[in-house]
Amino acid sequence: MLEIKDLVTEYGSVKALNGISLIAHEGKITTVIGANGAGKSTLLRTISALEHPRSGSITWKNKSIVGLSPEKIVRLGIAHVPEGHAVISQLSVEENIQMGALFRMRSNKADVRLAISEIYQLFPRLEERKRQLAGSLSGGERQMLAISRALVSRPSLLLLDEPSLGLAPLVVEQIIQTVNDLCRNTGLTVLLVEQNANTALGVADHGILLSLGTVAADLPAAQMKADVALRAAYLGY
Amino acid sequence: MDIFLSAIFAGTSRGAIYALAALGLVLVWRGAGVVNFAQMGQAMFSTYIASTLIAQNYSYWIAFVVALISGGLLGALVDLLVMRPLNRKKSSSALDSPAMRSTIPVIASLGILGVLQAAAGMIWAAEERGFPTPVNSLGLVINGKIMPFTAFDLFVMGIVFVTLVATTYFFKGTGIGLAMRASALNPEVARLSGIRIGFVRTLSWVISGVASSLAGLLVTPSANLSPYTLDLILIIGFTAAVVGGLDSLLGSVIGGFALGLLVSFVNVYDAPEDIFLAILIVLLTVLIIRPQGILGSKEVRRV
Repeated sequence: MLEIKDLVTEYGSVKALNGISLIAHEGKITTVIGANGAGKSTLLRTISALEHPRSGSITWKNKSIVGLSPEKIVRLGIAHVPEGHAVISQLSVEENIQMGALFRMRSNKADVRLAISEIYQLFPRLEERKRQLAGSLSGGERQMLAISRALVSRPSLLLLDEPSLGLAPLVVEQIIQTVNDLCRNTGLTVLLVEQNANTALGVADHGILLSLGTVAADLPAAQMKADVALRAAYLGY
Repeated sequence: MDIFLSAIFAGTSRGAIYALAALGLVLVWRGAGVVNFAQMGQAMFSTYIASTLIAQNYSYWIAFVVALISGGLLGALVDLLVMRPLNRKKSSSALDSPAMRSTIPVIASLGILGVLQAAAGMIWAAEERGFPTPVNSLGLVINGKIMPFTAFDLFVMGIVFVTLVATTYFFKGTGIGLAMRASALNPEVARLSGIRIGFVRTLSWVISGVASSLAGLLVTPSANLSPYTLDLILIIGFTAAVVGGLDSLLGSVIGGFALGLLVSFVNVYDAPEDIFLAILIVLLTVLIIRPQGILGSKEVRRV
């Protein structure tokens, strides 16, 4: 279980997160939705230690992870796929995937091989293109690669930032479905940040609505999806 | 014809050394975002250590290995004692712009160069001293015919060739090489992948230190050793790195060989006084026609 209490993160004097508390249960998809600038990405960046919180606590499996480095947090099984199809375009597809497993290459080479072959089963298109530079991939393939880079570390918590950004609806559907399958089949815990609220609430178990750095609503996903007043007030549709 | 051939050989051998110096600069530029003006100062220091060992009757090879190790250690020390604390320090907002953040380490490297040169002058006195070669540096004689190259030229080319092959394998064929490339290209994604970028950064200082010490050891026999002799190699190595495209390892090697040949031809067919003029013309031409260098990426330069 990921538990966040009273989290405050500032950029200069601007409070991007202003006292956020939430829980993401193991083996479930929790989605964080909200308008631009609500603090969704900052929340994920604070969990993975790319940003340092001013105050508040983050605990994963009952252990505080505040103050650790991003490198350390990956080793605890928390993998972050940042916004914008974050792959390294000058490296090959294969190298991008290997990169995510470098830290456990020496200790568990056999499992890394297995993890890579599982990823190629999940995304056969990446195997076909494994020698190509990541920069030559389409947007959807890049997002698959970014997710693969995270999955190869065998995370138990996946932080996914706007996987649908700039992708065609069909591709979004496919990627979200894959994440959903992973969660249901392997017990992966997912914290999914999305601007595309409808899609996200469609697969999620639980929804957190952020507004200006605070939690505006914290409801089961189906209930949040059905709440017309909430949607009108915060999401504009 | 013999003059032409000997200019080619001398230029290739010289170019190999410039390539090493340029490689060292590019490694630290890519790995740590710093143009390291102290690099050949570090090399000078480790060459002095080798020279001292040789003066005390240790073999050339022991001195050679000790110098390479101390070159690597010095690189690590520069990063750990100067660059890391500088990075960590929360400076005033006036100093916290991206331009200042990339300038401060460069200024610091100039400071380190000054300290190293002054220290070398204090420890070993500032007078020039010779430095031996492990093999003969007179024209090689095969079947009674004098060849247009020396055994030392062959030694230099061989050792640089081996170094370049090893470096290429290291970067393309090993996990730590992949970690270094990833950290240089995108530190954030590298960290999120679990790569310890602090360690990787220090490692690029170490490898750069070894490469430039090697350049120092190979170039000093022809130039004598003083705290300032390697400044010239820094200037030419830096030009080679810029000509090749500051962020490309292969480019820096090509730039190094190109400048070696240029220097050699100017030396033979024109006059040694014109070497700097020729280097300047090449540098300006490249900067005007192809500012990103031969193999550099088109990204806007940060320095």
